[in-house]
Amino acid sequence: MEPAMEPATAALEAESQETPAPKRLGETLLSVDDISLSFGGVNALSNISFEIREHEILAIIGPNGAGKSSMLNVINGFYQPQKGRVSFKGTTFRRMRPHVAAKMGIARTFQNIALFKGMSTLDNLMTGRLLKMKRNFLWQALYYGPAQKEEVAHREAVERIIDFLEIQAIRKTPVGRLPYGLQKRVELGRALAMEPDLLLLDEPMAGMNVEEKEDMCRFILDVNDEFGTTIALIEHDMGVVMDISDRVVVLDYGRKLADGSPDEVRGNPDVIDAYLGVSH
Amino acid sequence: MLYREAGQFKTSYGSDQAIFPIRQDQIGIALLLLVAVLGVPALAGEYWLETIFVPFLVFSLAAIGLNLLTGYCGQLSLGTGGFMACGAFFAYKLTTAFPELHVLVVFLLAGVGSAAVGVFFGIPSLRIKGFYLAVATLAAQFFLVWMFNKFDWWTNYSPSGVISAPPREVLPGIFLTGTEATPITKYLFLLGLVAVLALVAKNLTRGAIGRSWMAIRDMDIAAEIIGIRPLWAKLSAFAISSFFIGIAGALWAFVYTGSVEALAFQIDRSFQVLFMVIIGGLGSILGSFLGAAFIVLLPILLNNVPAAIGLQMSVEMVSHLEFMIFGALIIFFLIVEPHGLARLWQIGKEKLRLWPFPY
Repeated sequence: MEPAMEPATAALEAESQETPAPKRLGETLLSVDDISLSFGGVNALSNISFEIREHEILAIIGPNGAGKSSMLNVINGFYQPQKGRVSFKGTTFRRMRPHVAAKMGIARTFQNIALFKGMSTLDNLMTGRLLKMKRNFLWQALYYGPAQKEEVAHREAVERIIDFLEIQAIRKTPVGRLPYGLQKRVELGRALAMEPDLLLLDEPMAGMNVEEKEDMCRFILDVNDEFGTTIALIEHDMGVVMDISDRVVVLDYGRKLADGSPDEVRGNPDVIDAYLGVSH
Repeated sequence: MLYREAGQFKTSYGSDQAIFPIRQDQIGIALLLLVAVLGVPALAGEYWLETIFVPFLVFSLAAIGLNLLTGYCGQLSLGTGGFMACGAFFAYKLTTAFPELHVLVVFLLAGVGSAAVGVFFGIPSLRIKGFYLAVATLAAQFFLVWMFNKFDWWTNYSPSGVISAPPREVLPGIFLTGTEATPITKYLFLLGLVAVLALVAKNLTRGAIGRSWMAIRDMDIAAEIIGIRPLWAKLSAFAISSFFIGIAGALWAFVYTGSVEALAFQIDRSFQVLFMVIIGGLGSILGSFLGAAFIVLLPILLNNVPAAIGLQMSVEMVSHLEFMIFGALIIFFLIVEPHGLARLWQIGKEKLRLWPFPY
């Protein structure tokens, strides 16, 4: 599936096609090593290892209950695995913590939208920049001088993201009132506002129609292309996964079945059996 | 038609982020402040200043404090009375120990002391939420009132357990507390202090710290993912909320009543302030003022209505009716607009943009 391009971005695309820049795949950004996680007697993940390289788009796929979301939760510190390690940017963690992950540059979106419903789109995105705001509360109480300059500077950064995601019209709307597709987009915006090095997207296209999916694909590819952000995403739409991802990791019942380029994974008999069904 | 922002363009993010970005609002608030500073002292008599405007301002401050905690950070608290008592007794101990300290400094320090107490009693909020937290804050309420009541040290061993504000000057020769204080001094001092503190509260809520509170309120999991530490966000909300409430308590004791005992800050007081916040509007500074006005003014109004329309009723009848009508009005408002008077005001403004034309 080729994402539909609007004129402006189509022009950009044409430009980049003239010089087919080699994909800037770099060093290993994050690696998970021998992760096992169980809830009581249920093994959500067992001995999972894989790595995410800089600037790539990695898709994690698998049937329902395969442990995909648990994997993301382990990466950004929501779940503490019983066994295994997570290394990010050369630092190895036995126990990752959500705020440490945020500080080190991991952002994520959720399968069920987790926006701040009472706040406007603008405030949601500004919240994404909290870690970058340095003035203490006494300056904020005055809202003057350095504190105000800081607010305006971050507002400018947020406005660039608003322009990028084409959500200018809903800037001041409380997000609780927005339709589902836009909420997903705002959530992506909030994650982008953190200027992350690694972006974890948990089913960014779930429940969307074709146009919305195409838009979302375009945004994901643009983020990856323009900012060089590494992206790990969970997605069920195979067309999308095979199209946009550089590598695919397949999970099933908490085990890793396959890991490789979309074509390799598509041809892997285990994957065909477990994920796409034994129909041939 | 009257209230249209058409033609008012914002050319910088700074001006777009102003508290009152619309010119009509700027004019309105300027007029309101002008009336409050010049008009009210000139027109309102001593009785009005002392029984309506002074308690209204004190309660507004307490409501702002609770609103920061409950409305913005989502932590339900029933400890307001206890924290007000902290402010009152801390201020009393400070000003009797250091009589030369300026009264404003005393109030601010009392607020800081209350903030510390607030942080201590806010620690359970790290593990429990909602109604369970409300019950935990009840412990603060009962413990603090008990402590101030039980230990004579807090009242400087006064036999009655009542503290009386010693006379203190706000400016040389102008007394704010004690018998020589005039209602006008009290009113103007309160007006200035509450206006400044309300501005501080507004600034906090529209800045980074306020957004971190609201993030915790709306979705604490997502807030953590963004890098907000629930510990800091919740405890800072408790601290700043208790700071405001503590100052309100000190003002209550020193400026409004002049003398007070710990039992004046019992659970009723906590509920009173909580009702102000709920009726005024959770998560709105304006709502805190509206809620305080509603709760302070309405009983007085209801009290005077029967006499005004010529109904002869016994005093008990009037006071019972007052309670019934008051309760019914609270329920009515909550059904009509659960988001409080502040939201009604918002809706009113939206309507005014077109009025009197249909579209």
